Amino acid sequence: MAAPRAKPPSSTSPWAWLRVLYAVLGLTVFAFPGGMVDWLDERNASGWLSVPLAVARGVDAASAAVGVKGAGEWLRRWFAATIGDADT
Amino acid sequence: MLFPTIDFGLFFAFSFILVWGLNPYNTVKKYVLLALSLAFYASWNWRFLLLLLASGAISYVVGLYVDAAAKRPFRRLALGFGVALDLGILAYFKYLDFFIAQALNLAHMLGFDLPLGFVNVTLPVAISFLTFHAISYVVDVYRGRIAASRSPLDIVLYVSFFPHLVAGPIVRAHEFLPQLASPRRAGDFSFGENMLLILGGLFKKMVIANYLAVRFVDPVFTDPSQFSRFDLIMAVYAYAMQIYADFSAYTDIAIGVAALLGYRFPQNFNQPYRALGIGDFWRRWHMTLSRWLRDYLYIPLGGNRHGALATTRNLMVTMLLGGLWHGANWTFLIWGAMHGVALVLDHAWRRSAAFARWGEGPIVRVVDWALTFNFVCLTWLFFRAPSLDAVGQFLGGVWTDNGAASTMPAVVLPLIACGALTQIAPSRTRAAIGIVLDNRGALASAAFGFVLLYAIVVMAPSAAAPFIYFQF
Repeated sequence: MAAPRAKPPSSTSPWAWLRVLYAVLGLTVFAFPGGMVDWLDERNASGWLSVPLAVARGVDAASAAVGVKGAGEWLRRWFAATIGDADT
Repeated sequence: MLFPTIDFGLFFAFSFILVWGLNPYNTVKKYVLLALSLAFYASWNWRFLLLLLASGAISYVVGLYVDAAAKRPFRRLALGFGVALDLGILAYFKYLDFFIAQALNLAHMLGFDLPLGFVNVTLPVAISFLTFHAISYVVDVYRGRIAASRSPLDIVLYVSFFPHLVAGPIVRAHEFLPQLASPRRAGDFSFGENMLLILGGLFKKMVIANYLAVRFVDPVFTDPSQFSRFDLIMAVYAYAMQIYADFSAYTDIAIGVAALLGYRFPQNFNQPYRALGIGDFWRRWHMTLSRWLRDYLYIPLGGNRHGALATTRNLMVTMLLGGLWHGANWTFLIWGAMHGVALVLDHAWRRSAAFARWGEGPIVRVVDWALTFNFVCLTWLFFRAPSLDAVGQFLGGVWTDNGAASTMPAVVLPLIACGALTQIAPSRTRAAIGIVLDNRGALASAAFGFVLLYAIVVMAPSAAAPFIYFQF
């Protein structure tokens, strides 16, 4: 009887890839929530994105509450000032 | 829908689930991939969707005719018809107004008027890359490299597959079509390496290319008369790094995205600014275009098989058409001509007795590199300038100094140095880190990916320049 095939390492499963991709995207949205809120807001003229917009605003508030949003904004300003790009 | 945008991030996250979820059902998956590709294209201009579908349909039908024709003249006729149709579409959208303008100018110089008017047609996004893919398919069928596909779905998906649709890399039919035959295996790809490829592309585009463009290159090329000799010269080197960072970023992201969906694309850049000679440069820069021009233009013209004179002619024709492909403008023709002449000289040098004797020595290699790099940078001036008058104004400023003080931002040199690092880093670095990430598991990959993306967002300027190769 043939031995059962070994389970492939997690890195070869697309569902493992999916977890990583969504984690990276999700964490980035949490770190810089303003971009997603603006993006949804611009496309919500007819109100069809109200629910995701409310979620994004919730994420924005949570990020601000724990200081992550502020840290990201401060770092962006600091980097821009450091390289003399405060006006862009 | 540009790659470094929230739009594309969401689009890709959605596509990823669909594509891998449907992977066991290959035909359904291909229909979904086609729908996604059409949606991606429609995000620019839905009116040209018909053009995209027509290009795929022409390729499919011509491929069948070429395959079915028993005798060589009929095969050639079918191939000629298909290629003429593809080139006719390209010529109408991209070159008609240019040729009308040249005809009107010539007629005016000869003292009469032609009853011609400009068509003022909108240039469809991706028309050039679409044409390359369509021609690649019918020629590969003609040469017997692949059998004509009986699936119109495969052919339309081949020409419209969204990762390569807008700015390449140019994926040849025999490289891509076999991949559509069966469900894909994630195990054939390194997730870590492809995640790094995408993030590296984002860094090159969002940080290096955007800063160089917005802070220095665009202002200098908009009005060269306001800048000093030093700034003008530095702007050419900065543009050399900008166009590399910009274009290689696009194709890196395209290759990485395709790989994460289970499809392999060919490499498009291989540290081009370390090239020794122009021939070497073209084996490293936009490699898929170079191979396309070599296989579908230079070799059919005769290549180097009929003596020095014919080789010179074939190189010049290939590079002139390669230049014209970038745009209907004399600046691109001159850019192509300069590369053509340099290739002819490079060809002769590498076959000379002097090269056989001294060519591999360290001093000759350094001179070879310096000449190649600076020549390529000089040609970028013609590539970037909007007109020959602008080139004249730019070179005039280099000669006279314009009486201006240098205003080059301090950030330019570190950015050029950063771009230079990508040219000298060992080429296996990314693969090696990718393997480490794959072995460390999902948590390490997510943490590493997040830290890199966080750093990119922190560093990216608020203003962004469009991808340079979108216009082609």
